[in-house]
Amino acid sequence: MKIAPPSVWRIKDSLYNLIAAKCEDCGNITFPYQQICSKCGSTNVKSIKLSGEGTLIDYTVSYQAREGFEKVLPMYVGIIRLDEGFTIVAPLTDVNESNIKEGIRVKATLRKLRSDSSNGLIVYGVKFRPAEGQ
Amino acid sequence: MMVEVRVVGSSMYKIDRHYNLGLRDLAVAVVQELKSKLKEFVKPDVVLVANAYGEAVNHQLVLAGKLATYLGLTSTALRVEAGDGSGGSAIFTAYSLLKAGIAKTALILGVEKLSDYPSKYLNEALSYNLDEEYSYQSGLVPHVYAALLMKAYMKKYNVDYSYFANWSIAMHSNAVENPYAYLRFPANMNAIISSQVIAEPLRLFDIGARGDGAAAVYLATDEISSKISDEYSKIEYVTGSSSDIDFVPGLPAVRSIGLEAKDLLKQAELAEIHDSYSIMAALQLEELGLAEYGKSLKSLDSLIPINYSGGLKARGYPGGATGVYQLAEVHQQLVGEFKGKRVSGAERGFVLSTDDLSRSAYLVYVRR
Repeated sequence: MKIAPPSVWRIKDSLYNLIAAKCEDCGNITFPYQQICSKCGSTNVKSIKLSGEGTLIDYTVSYQAREGFEKVLPMYVGIIRLDEGFTIVAPLTDVNESNIKEGIRVKATLRKLRSDSSNGLIVYGVKFRPAEGQ
Repeated sequence: MMVEVRVVGSSMYKIDRHYNLGLRDLAVAVVQELKSKLKEFVKPDVVLVANAYGEAVNHQLVLAGKLATYLGLTSTALRVEAGDGSGGSAIFTAYSLLKAGIAKTALILGVEKLSDYPSKYLNEALSYNLDEEYSYQSGLVPHVYAALLMKAYMKKYNVDYSYFANWSIAMHSNAVENPYAYLRFPANMNAIISSQVIAEPLRLFDIGARGDGAAAVYLATDEISSKISDEYSKIEYVTGSSSDIDFVPGLPAVRSIGLEAKDLLKQAELAEIHDSYSIMAALQLEELGLAEYGKSLKSLDSLIPINYSGGLKARGYPGGATGVYQLAEVHQQLVGEFKGKRVSGAERGFVLSTDDLSRSAYLVYVRR
């Protein structure tokens, strides 16, 4: 067993729900959630659920994968500016050369990330796809 | 009285795919060579091992203690890990222990094996550099961050891919002369711009050449150094900084070091930086204030000598041992021992040791 259930279960807020931290003092947003603001060190931090909607600033197509991710090659990865003003680097899905371009609207969607084996534990998580109408 | 921390000896093993050598073999070989260069090998008070991927690719823990034992040393042994910046963090630690009077001598041993496994397995280990909760889980690899930084840089400064090829050409040219370098052949623009795309626009020639290697540096206080060697350089300053990257693009951790050590950096006559990717070389040179933003890689000839070793690109990239190689190279340049391309008469140089994406950075400033 390579994937331990507790190790995935405890980060469900990051993997499924895009829960981030917003600093009440300086306004900085960090994802995944953390109790202390990386920018100003404040503990006056609240958890917020990111909308999952944003704009694709730029992207790359990767031709090298880690073990367990071979099936997603070529892997599209984007820098996404979420509507809250936070920038995230995340895998893209449902994209190909013809429907991807900088500046399109994208939306978070839950997808399979990897699995332990053909009948093992499956890890799901957020990827981003083009928003409807793109 | 202020303690002076001196580099009294160093040695390196040629970086390569050493399928017949393990961590232990590499460590013994490089320390034996170091011993042969010293007047007397005083048993070090502390052994610091710089190694990043020992658990992931060699299935080893307690590596420092084991290596010390294999070397016939009973010294206090610590492994210091900061990913590819392990070397810099080990030097920082050794310097601090000597300055504090806790130790008078320190053997810093960098050792790493990256060539046993094919890329997809090694990429798994390299991805441990990313944040655990999202980036690692979602299947990302560090290459994609380098590629995205590169695209941001190309847009901001309106440069094309050939701009980055300048770095590979310079590094390969330097490595030809370095007997410890992995890729000792020149590279031309055509070979570089037609090399394999790893993550657009990042190509094979933009990435440090992973290999196996070991390097050793012996530090001693001024009180004891003459017993060990007559030749030395001194570590004048060390500092470090931590911060995430931004896609402006920029490296805030390196920028912070550049501001803190501004006056010293201005006086430096040579440097070894951590060019895990050609984009990282560009950003580091600019954030340290050595080159103008957006112009570093087309003005290499007008900068101080950078990476005469050949850098990670062509000397090779031995993971967490890299920073120890860098210090050995700068020291050997300053005392006139370096066997590759030489900077003659230089008195001041520095090492910038970082993790692969320069989120943890260490500066080691050395003076003749």
